[in-house]
Amino acid sequence: MRFLAPVLLLALVAAALPYLIHRVGKRRAVPVRFAAMQLLLRSERRVHARRRLREILLLVARTAAAASLPLVFARPFCERATDLPVVTLDAQAAVLILDDSASMQRRCGVGTCFAKAKARALALARQFPLDSELALLLASAGAEARIGELEAERARIVEAIEGTTCSARPADFTAAMRQAALLLAGANRALHRVYLFTDGQATGWEDGTGLPPASAPEVIIDDVTGGAPLPNRAILDARVQPTAESGPGGIAITVDIADYTQQSAPALGVTLRVDGAAVAQGAVELPAGGRARKRFLHAFPGEGGGSHDLVVSIEADAFPPDDRRTLHVEMARTLRVLAIDGDPRTIRNEDESFFFETAIKSGIPGALVTNKLADDVSPDGLSSYTVVALLNVAEPAPALAAALERFVMAGGGLFISMGDRVNAMVWNQRMARLLPQPLGLLRTAAALPGQRAGETLDERPAERLLPLDRRTPLLSVFPEEGGGLLGARFFKYVLLDPVRDTARRSVLLRFESGAPALVEGELGKGRVLLLTTTVDREWTDLPIRPGFLPLLREIARYLVGATDQQSAVALLVGEPSLLSFRADLQTLEIRRPDGSVWIAKREPDGNVHNVAFTGTDQIGLYRVRGASADGVFVEQPSQDFAVNLDPRESDPARLAPERRPDRLAAARVGAKPSKHRVELWHALSAVLLFLVLAESLLTLRRRRASALASGRSAK
Amino acid sequence: MPNPGSAVPHPAPDQHLGLLAPVDLAKLASLAVRARTIVEGALAGAHRNLHPGTSLEFTEHKEYAPGDDVRRIDWKAVARTDRYSIKRFEDETELRMLLVLDTSASMGYRRSSVSKLEYATYLAAALAYLVGQQRDAAGLFAFDSEPRAVLPPSTRPGQVREVLAALEGLRPAGRANPGRALERAAELCDKRGLIVLFSDLLDMEDEVVGETAAGPLAERLRQLRGRGHDVSLFHVLDADEVDLPFEDLTFFEGMEPDDKRSLLAEPHDLAPAFREESALFRRRWQTLAREARMEYRFARTDTPPVEILAPYLAERAGSV
Repeated sequence: MRFLAPVLLLALVAAALPYLIHRVGKRRAVPVRFAAMQLLLRSERRVHARRRLREILLLVARTAAAASLPLVFARPFCERATDLPVVTLDAQAAVLILDDSASMQRRCGVGTCFAKAKARALALARQFPLDSELALLLASAGAEARIGELEAERARIVEAIEGTTCSARPADFTAAMRQAALLLAGANRALHRVYLFTDGQATGWEDGTGLPPASAPEVIIDDVTGGAPLPNRAILDARVQPTAESGPGGIAITVDIADYTQQSAPALGVTLRVDGAAVAQGAVELPAGGRARKRFLHAFPGEGGGSHDLVVSIEADAFPPDDRRTLHVEMARTLRVLAIDGDPRTIRNEDESFFFETAIKSGIPGALVTNKLADDVSPDGLSSYTVVALLNVAEPAPALAAALERFVMAGGGLFISMGDRVNAMVWNQRMARLLPQPLGLLRTAAALPGQRAGETLDERPAERLLPLDRRTPLLSVFPEEGGGLLGARFFKYVLLDPVRDTARRSVLLRFESGAPALVEGELGKGRVLLLTTTVDREWTDLPIRPGFLPLLREIARYLVGATDQQSAVALLVGEPSLLSFRADLQTLEIRRPDGSVWIAKREPDGNVHNVAFTGTDQIGLYRVRGASADGVFVEQPSQDFAVNLDPRESDPARLAPERRPDRLAAARVGAKPSKHRVELWHALSAVLLFLVLAESLLTLRRRRASALASGRSAK
Repeated sequence: MPNPGSAVPHPAPDQHLGLLAPVDLAKLASLAVRARTIVEGALAGAHRNLHPGTSLEFTEHKEYAPGDDVRRIDWKAVARTDRYSIKRFEDETELRMLLVLDTSASMGYRRSSVSKLEYATYLAAALAYLVGQQRDAAGLFAFDSEPRAVLPPSTRPGQVREVLAALEGLRPAGRANPGRALERAAELCDKRGLIVLFSDLLDMEDEVVGETAAGPLAERLRQLRGRGHDVSLFHVLDADEVDLPFEDLTFFEGMEPDDKRSLLAEPHDLAPAFREESALFRRRWQTLAREARMEYRFARTDTPPVEILAPYLAERAGSV
């Protein structure tokens, strides 16, 4: 034990005072020659033990109290060896950076590395001199600072550390160090230090140290693993692809596995679970420090349409988050398209159905397209199709119109394209409920559209499309520049008559004149898309433009209710998820893996649009529900998605010494072990208080006994 | 000679004198006066005799003395001799009273009142005076480790005065040896008589075992009682020896020679236990007295002697 003010120990002589007073008191005792010594001694024998004990206790209490007072003022402390940095003993401005990246979930002895880092950060925070200023930052990408300014109040720091939890985000030490340097640049203290509690992983340092080249704060990296190796086996990626190998609804799941243990695994178990049930199990030979790939084939029953959750996993190790990977697969229904050609031609490439069929078959593998003339269509046979396309049909028969209405009400998709043969008046009568808007006059473009770079000069007057609204789900796959749509020229198109009720229709594409080019309508469970021009080259050159094929593909998918044919939606932690409002949805609810709920509301203008969900900081499945204006939520499995660990976090490679920002501290390795000063005056004060209390109690008891004895004597 | 007329049942001239506190009594001039004061107080309005007899066998006449039953005055003899006489019968022969006083150093203890020895002399003097008045024989035996004053019981004139003088000359000293002393005292009483012991009885017990006092003194008292002596025990204690009412830190030392016992103590720590021990101490001697059919009287030195003596006399008269 050592003292900050040892000179005050001279006052320890005061400890002898109680004993001296005791001795002097004895001398000052009144001498009495007493006859009844016999009775007195017998009484003494009866109370001797108790009285002696009390006297000793009293003397000890008084002596200890007298001794502890100078001891307290002498500020005693002891030093004990600690593996915490010794530099904390100076008053300083310090930023503590707690690595809360996913890799810190790795088991480190009894608990996780993060728990260990937290404990060490807490110990460190408590060790700083009281006149130090501290801040607390987190090292995961995109994490908000816990204490974003230098703070002298220690309790806040301690509370913030205790309240921090480990995230699933990847590390971004560069950003954290940059923020720390900025904070310290404005600090009043002369000493500026950054303490980083991490597992020493190289991930997150890719962009450098983040520190300014000049006047950089001193950095102390506390590797909570103590430099121990961090063995790990991880699933780096899992992909789903449609495949015909396993029949209709068949998919292939490819799993990439990496070894970081430097020990080969001749038969590492890999399991595939579909919708919670283990459907396949296999083994893969994983070389030491190498990689392996495992491929599973799976066929969904029936046509396989719908949403499915897939989980691939390997044998668990010390870092569980990368031992499994989750996928959400949206399987489209098999696309069966009935193309009703209203203007059949003998020359194939002049026929509208030619362009339509070619685009569908090329864009959607496996799609079945049936071409029929309007008169050949049996109204009762529509139910075997998922999409019906009316291509330049002059006058749909009443029976066909009624059958189409039933077809759409039941969930079927209807595509309508215009042409010379279309009788707008009849259409408006027979197809009134199906048309998103009544057909109007035919409009012919009157002006030259201008020539774009690389285009062949065409002298015909034409119009182009307005820039795309990519928030529309159907158009979200197109790039911003249009993806071959904006270059298309339209020579003729049908104008649409205005309608009062616009809630059930949306204009997805417009011409430069403002007239609708592609309009969506809803009826029952189905959708109708109306293209106000032709799908052959008669009114437009769209069919020969690059955007034609993806447009028809997306139209077909949109009509059957899927934005992707077979999409395995899997994001990495921190990546935003783009969610779309269907026309009738007003609210979207996203339920995260931990059960917390995030809600997005459609903007008041009511336009169809997407919303980016950024709260993807947890690993697992995110479920989406949508509510229409009536407030009833309906599951939206097609929008569900999975979030997985950033594979960089699986790599336990350590930061190379030459890249470490704590070269100064690293150079001190080998110096004598640091010591931690533990101040004892608090405890001594408590002891002193206790002694005074005990002395008071003993004295009080004695006085009471005395008063009682005096009272009895008086009686 | 006392005037029989003035001694006949009359209230004392000043009966309040008998109720004087011991300290006030000590201010009176001589022991004789004190004795008379006590006796007059004790006998105020009553007639008591220490040894009334009951027998039909007449033996002698005795001059009337205060305390004698007036009903037993022989009026015929009065007519013949012009003196008040009472008849004595076979059992009513002369009372031989031996006052035995412990004069050891411990009897000299006093703090706020008179010493135990002084108090004992008051009581003894009063009894001697009373016996003298009744023309009975009174003797004195004072002792510590050795006999200090020895006056065999006698009825001769001047005996009471000598007893009083001897009592007045007693000083506390030495260490009590009650066994030997009582043996000598018993030799002085060749006939059955009344032996009245005044002592603080301190340090006269063997190790305390049981509820009865034991030791040489207790044994000697039992022997005396066995020989037919009437024994009265006046247990004289100072108030301090009952309550231990000291307040400050006190260094207690033994009083008797060669007594090396000492104790430094906070009296209030000890007081409760001391009170219990003191009560136990008295109770043991009281039990002994009861078992041996002795008279036991506890006398605190702060109590007016008459309050001790009056009930004693009354009880003895009542035991007829």
